[in-house]
Amino acid sequence: MRRPGYAAFRTVLVAFTVGVIGAASAHAQRTGRDIIDHVDRIMRGESSQGVATMEVVTEHWQRSMTMDIWSLGTEYALIRITAPKKEAGTATLKAGDDIWNYLPRVDRTIKIPASLMMGSWMGSHFTNDDIVKESRLIEDYDIAIGYEGLRDGVEVWELDLAPKPEAAVVWGRIVYQVRKRDMMPTWARYYDEDGALVRTFTFSDYKTMGGRLVPARMDARPEDKPTERTTILYSELEFDIGLDRGFFSLRALRTGEGR
Amino acid sequence: MIGPWWRIGWRNLGRNRRRTLIAAAGLALGYFAVVVMVGLMAGLTAEMIENGTGLLTGQLQIHALDYRPDRSIYRTIGGDDGTDVARLLREVITDTAVAGAAPRVYAGGLVSSGEATTAGILMGVDPNREPGVSRILRSVVRGAVPANGQSQILIGTEMARQLDADVGDTVIVVAPAADGSMGNDLFTVSGVFRSGMPELDGSYVFVPIGSLQQLIALSPGRVHEIAASTTDPWLAPIAAGRLAAEFSTSGLTLEVEPWTRLRPEMLDYARLVEAWDYFVIGIVFAIAVFGVANTMLMATFERRREVAVMLALGATPAKIVLSILSEALALGVISLIAGVAITLPILVWWHTAPPDLSWLYGDFTMFGALIRPVLRVEYKPAVAVLTGVALLLTALIAALYPAARAARMLPADTLSGI
Repeated sequence: MRRPGYAAFRTVLVAFTVGVIGAASAHAQRTGRDIIDHVDRIMRGESSQGVATMEVVTEHWQRSMTMDIWSLGTEYALIRITAPKKEAGTATLKAGDDIWNYLPRVDRTIKIPASLMMGSWMGSHFTNDDIVKESRLIEDYDIAIGYEGLRDGVEVWELDLAPKPEAAVVWGRIVYQVRKRDMMPTWARYYDEDGALVRTFTFSDYKTMGGRLVPARMDARPEDKPTERTTILYSELEFDIGLDRGFFSLRALRTGEGR
Repeated sequence: MIGPWWRIGWRNLGRNRRRTLIAAAGLALGYFAVVVMVGLMAGLTAEMIENGTGLLTGQLQIHALDYRPDRSIYRTIGGDDGTDVARLLREVITDTAVAGAAPRVYAGGLVSSGEATTAGILMGVDPNREPGVSRILRSVVRGAVPANGQSQILIGTEMARQLDADVGDTVIVVAPAADGSMGNDLFTVSGVFRSGMPELDGSYVFVPIGSLQQLIALSPGRVHEIAASTTDPWLAPIAAGRLAAEFSTSGLTLEVEPWTRLRPEMLDYARLVEAWDYFVIGIVFAIAVFGVANTMLMATFERRREVAVMLALGATPAKIVLSILSEALALGVISLIAGVAITLPILVWWHTAPPDLSWLYGDFTMFGALIRPVLRVEYKPAVAVLTGVALLLTALIAALYPAARAARMLPADTLSGI
């Protein structure tokens, strides 16, 4: 089903893109937008598949879940919990702006309503919104390099992300620190609209997985509860494994096909 | 006590009966207007308080100290170990002002049916006890109240519409549980309620308390709230103080809040309305003063020759003042008796059978309380007495100027026709 003129359109688009990138690199200067775009793509590739452990520590309980994760571009992701037994089979599908959860206990799929986007995902310190919006930084924020230079003996950029006026985002400001040496993110700080720090993501444990250098560990810490955290630890990660959109269907969410 | 000057005053009232009747009618009507108006305002306030607290809140609530305002599901009464809920309920009910008490558990969650999912406030209630505290379970319009021990829920009309679910349908309820897991289970819609409050009808879900505790992994001894009703809403603050003292002596650190602290905006409004009572009295009788003063001025002017003769015969000005004031007082007493005679039956009738204005107005809400469109009238004995005193004072104040004028007249000039 190739529409007439599509090939021509694509050629123009590619030419235009190459032109823009060429122009950018000709200046030998990375913009904040380029850096964030790069960081955004590290963990994803065209498609990816991984195994991760999520450890959640709260004031009241502590638990660990193992999950399989698949992604396609920035639009699609499927996460299926494999352990512990009580939760095994529980799955989350992200397609565009929507999230569905599959609950094996009742064998039903439910779509998360917009009003619950700020709700916790699987009891962690991540919100449903984090899962939907994780890849939208360059679309929703104006990005400027706030600081460039040494921090603790390491050359870094610190990027200031200010929400675009029309963007429907919850943060007042995000600051990202990225190492210059290998363009690895080191931390991200999220501020509310009053400028108060709400939470900090810390990246660490950089290692090569699936042929790429990635931060294998990410800690999320809420500012108001210093004893609490959520840690995501990747144990396996592969890229460009040739998934297509059909993989990210509600049917796949229910049945666990593709495992 | 009844001296000659008093008698003169009284008899003067009978000299122009029509004028006396008109003046008395004015004062009596003023009395009627004030008492009924204040009663109506008190009726509106009482309606608001009773509906605002009786629909769901209850007149007092007991929580763990740190439960409000965050309402974390972990902050149950008695901490993580919970408490002996039955014993606590017994203790609350033994208070003389408390009419009923019921335990409650709250959780935020999702209700999903078919394609539709909506966020809701899950409220675990004891279907046997809750009606003693609030009216919410009585507002079922279809189906029935969920039964203890069953996986059943009661949803509002608006949520039923959003979910396209009705009595007998199976829905999924998902809620973050106290152990960190995602509690999820299938529930049957046992009934649909309509409270008239959009936020209740669209987002509250009532679940048997045990079923909700199971869903969110709370043991049966863990509840977030004990809500109680009192025999009279105005007894709640005193009862709350008594209960708090009782709990602290038995070693429980609990927050006991009457509706006056849970819903301070309602208390503020009630206080404002009470302040208005005095305004109403003031305005009505300020108008009446001029009417009565005019009448008394006419009456004394007509009798100026008579007064001049009395003065000429040696009556002191003070006696003249006394006679005119006693005339005014007598007028006030007649008006008061007439006022009470017309006000009382109408007040009793309106109080026992409030006129229904629903053909004119629909239900409306005020401070989150549903108000029925009825002319509800409350008795306010203190205001009735105060109004009576105000009426008599009005008559006396109105007579002061005419009396002073009469007492100061010069007998010779008046008698010579100047």
